[in-house]
Amino acid sequence: MESNEEQEARRESSFQKRLKSAGSAMLVPVLAVLTAMLVGAVVILMAGGNPLYAYLGLFQGAFGSAKAWSETAVWATPYIFAGLAVALAFKGGLFNIGAEGQLALGAVVAAWIGYALPDMLEISLPAIIHLPLAIILGVLAGALWAAIPGALKAYTGGHEVINTIMMNYIALNMVSFLLNGPMKDKNPNNVIARTPEIAESARIPVIFEGFRIHWGFVLALIVAAIVWWLLWKTTLGFEIRTVGANPDAAKYAGINVKRTIILTMAMSGLLAGMAGAIEVSGLNYRHELGFSIGYGFDAIAIALLGKTHPLGVVLASILFAGMRNGGTRMQFLTQIPVDVISVIQALILLFVAADAIIRYIYRVRAREERLVLTRGWGG
Amino acid sequence: MDWRRFSVIALVIIILFSVVVLIGKTKDTPIVIITSLLATTIAVATPLTLGALSGIFCERSGVVNIGIEGMMLAAAFFGWLAAIYMNTIFKIAPLPSLIAGVVAAILTGGLFALLHAMLSITYKVDQIIGGTVINILAVGITGFMNRQLFFEKGSIFGGQVPHAPGVLPRIQIPFLADIPVMGRIFDQQPLTIAAILLVIVSHYVLFHTRWGLRTRAVGEHPRAADAVGINVIFMRYANVIIGGFLAGLGGAYFTLESVPSFEPLLTNGRGFIALAAMIFGNWSPFGAWAAALVFGASQAFQIKLQLFREVIPAQWAFLQNAYIVGLAPYILTMLILTGIIGKTTPPAADGVPYEK
Amino acid sequence: MLKKLYFVLALVMVFALVLPACAPAAPDCTKQDVFCVGLVTDVGKIDDKSFNQSAWEGVQKAKEDGIATVVQYIETTDSKDYDKNISTFGDAGYDVIVTVGFALGEATDAAAAKYPNVKFIGVDQFQAEDVPGVAGLNFPEDQAGFLVGALAAMMSKSHKIGSVLGTDAVPPVWRFGEGYRAGAAYADQEMGTTTEVFVVYHNDVGFDKTFVDPEWGAATANSMIDQGADVIFGAGGKTGNGAVTAAAQRGVYAIGVDTDQYYTLPEAAPRMLSSAMKLITPGVYDLIKMAKEGSFPSGNYFGQAGYAPYHDLENEVPAEVKAKMDEIAAGLLDGSITTNVPPVKP
Repeated sequence: MESNEEQEARRESSFQKRLKSAGSAMLVPVLAVLTAMLVGAVVILMAGGNPLYAYLGLFQGAFGSAKAWSETAVWATPYIFAGLAVALAFKGGLFNIGAEGQLALGAVVAAWIGYALPDMLEISLPAIIHLPLAIILGVLAGALWAAIPGALKAYTGGHEVINTIMMNYIALNMVSFLLNGPMKDKNPNNVIARTPEIAESARIPVIFEGFRIHWGFVLALIVAAIVWWLLWKTTLGFEIRTVGANPDAAKYAGINVKRTIILTMAMSGLLAGMAGAIEVSGLNYRHELGFSIGYGFDAIAIALLGKTHPLGVVLASILFAGMRNGGTRMQFLTQIPVDVISVIQALILLFVAADAIIRYIYRVRAREERLVLTRGWGG
Repeated sequence: MDWRRFSVIALVIIILFSVVVLIGKTKDTPIVIITSLLATTIAVATPLTLGALSGIFCERSGVVNIGIEGMMLAAAFFGWLAAIYMNTIFKIAPLPSLIAGVVAAILTGGLFALLHAMLSITYKVDQIIGGTVINILAVGITGFMNRQLFFEKGSIFGGQVPHAPGVLPRIQIPFLADIPVMGRIFDQQPLTIAAILLVIVSHYVLFHTRWGLRTRAVGEHPRAADAVGINVIFMRYANVIIGGFLAGLGGAYFTLESVPSFEPLLTNGRGFIALAAMIFGNWSPFGAWAAALVFGASQAFQIKLQLFREVIPAQWAFLQNAYIVGLAPYILTMLILTGIIGKTTPPAADGVPYEK
Repeated sequence: MLKKLYFVLALVMVFALVLPACAPAAPDCTKQDVFCVGLVTDVGKIDDKSFNQSAWEGVQKAKEDGIATVVQYIETTDSKDYDKNISTFGDAGYDVIVTVGFALGEATDAAAAKYPNVKFIGVDQFQAEDVPGVAGLNFPEDQAGFLVGALAAMMSKSHKIGSVLGTDAVPPVWRFGEGYRAGAAYADQEMGTTTEVFVVYHNDVGFDKTFVDPEWGAATANSMIDQGADVIFGAGGKTGNGAVTAAAQRGVYAIGVDTDQYYTLPEAAPRMLSSAMKLITPGVYDLIKMAKEGSFPSGNYFGQAGYAPYHDLENEVPAEVKAKMDEIAAGLLDGSITTNVPPVKP
């Protein structure tokens, strides 16, 4: 039996093989999503709603029109960056719960460069300098913020889970302080804790006139490709994955484990900071207190659903974005509370995680690979 | 026991309290201030202490649990729901209703822990994923049910939040609570007292009983434990569920002891702080309790400083800013964790699924 | 294995194609005779027992009284969705759109330009200049705070009173808090007393947490009571509710906010001295009615604020305090007493 299969496999072209492996890798997530929606349908029924109608609204709202697609992409953009941030850290054996704080700092710095720099220098900057500067400095803020717990982990053994949680609270306090005080929009009509609008030259243009989808979404896809290339095609990526898989072995193989841990955290923070910076320069044109609520948390779910693979992260982001975006229309049509979306998302994650359940229901054979992220808390 | 850790913690708490006393001394006597600080510290540390104990049982047996937050949230909701149900539908008196609520909360925690145990022990799902599933699931279920039961017209409660049976009554510890002024510290609600007792019980169970020995063996060297005839799978299931019961009790604190109402997301990240307290305390009950007290003390510190806002001297003006004062506990935690105490050592097999 | 995936995907496609066919027909809001009212919440839930819910109750009342045919709400989950959520109603031809919370102010003004035939009711949205089609529903929260502040100062035996509030970044909350302080100072001046006032805003957390942290509210109230305070005013959603219930549990006087919380916080009812009220529900209802009748105002529309009855504590409040309260309320109304609280935090 087995030798037959092997011969068959050899006969197939490499493209077919890839397609097949991608197909079988996606089978369980797709079935998990469908099963979760079935269970969700029962929940909606119990709540006295019509699940078909509800899902119609969800689908229409998420993908039913050009505008819906645009809005879904708008939602997906920060998800992709933040999801990649968490996924990259996981690959390096690190759990970055701090994406939320890194994201907020990236946003605040990008906003500050965006609105304050032209006034400070007393010149109007060309977009070609101003926009990249805003994004790069925002991204660096995120990277530095994440590098701190990375360094603490490498040199003192302080666990990154606690340190990133603590740094989340510190970042959010600092941002609250800035937005309520020094950086608050001084316009007399403004009462909200937010920065002034950023200059035109610090904004990412939209792709199509009349839609909110901006080039940041395309950048997110490119960055996903870069992360894939980095992880699987470069020495650094190999080192990250080796440290993630087995730090002791990595040490014996001559890899500088400390340096790799710090770099991994910094790059993770860089991606999270980018989520914030792009959201400011591409969508909101300012930073407002409380805009990033829950992104760090969603990012963990997205990274897990995407099995920490960049392509998986992109697909999971679009799925979650579609659900969040379509939820509005679902509620408008049926008045089903949007909390149903959280239930469905949790179920998706549950079924993807416990794929044994899905395999049992649909009689799908097991794949040999198993996702392992946890190696306890040990340094 | 690790005396350095405890003396550092004690020092931090003393410094925090001294700052408040120095600032507030024009407004009140030090003894009143310290009493109030201690009473607040002990009360707000309760869910953190219970959450951390929950984590200790799970992780000492080798299962990482980041789902404490979700377990507490779900327990807070279902405990509260049970209490209200008993009180308004079955017309049972407030106190028995509340006790039924506490039991329901404990069982809810246990049920979610069972899910975590099945995922991580039987299905060998990555334990961080299992915990994340529980966190998200709890947010969804509680948010959805809270809406369906208490807002949508036509539900069993008619779309209204019914009269809650109140909160668990205060217990005055005999003699101690009668001390003038300082007695306030010993005038606490039952779950707060239970949390402290459970710290002692947990310490005894983990380090002075066969059960504890086996639990730790399973968490350190599951293969060796298996070789001497300990049922690794059973021990892990049992400890994770015990952990769930403790997290459930921690959840009950929010809706049955602190305030008689439920809000979506009311645990507010305290499950994660509990996790931090567990690691901070080096996976030992007393250590975790001390760490939880540091968090409690810094919250008490913050609240009191805001009360004394007007009398903060000019050179300490930064203390008037709530955001800056709010940073203190987190920076302190990081400093203590990384700078002074150094490495913490988790159970060796923590997070590793056991395969025969 | 691939076949299975294709099969599943094909099934999904068929499902997606068939689904639209079975959509039930909703009442058409674009028609002249169908009067539709939509409500967009701020980042928050419709069942918040606070301003979102009060506004929604006003909308529902309009339906019960036959003013509106269709009423619907959308809960905002992220501030970037404000425009999208308002447009969902605008595109469906709704006649009145209620947007709740000061944060939706700009999105509401923008939508008013986009949908000139729609009337917008902006709850807590102060209109610096009139925008056609937008009525900002505002309340003199400082006066309500002033009233209960004076009451608290007159009722306190320890001459220490406290107030636990949400973040002062939200102007109505700040007006409640500062009004309370000013009211206590006024009562001191009148009565010749010196009252120590603790006013604590919940600033040290994110915007999403500041109004939904009852445990913090309770801990803060307890801390004030330890310090000798014997009247606690809680204002700020659930955070304030936590303070009010904790105060009642400790046996001191509790003062609620927004509505007469004697009814919404039954566990605190026996110790509920009063509530600083802003009447959102009737304000929203009245504006919807005006929109229907064609007398919809633009610019600022001021709703009512005041203090709630003493209920169970009627007998504990001395007659001279009651008289003084009537006097202050009248003074605020005719302008002979001013709170001196600016509309926004300077």
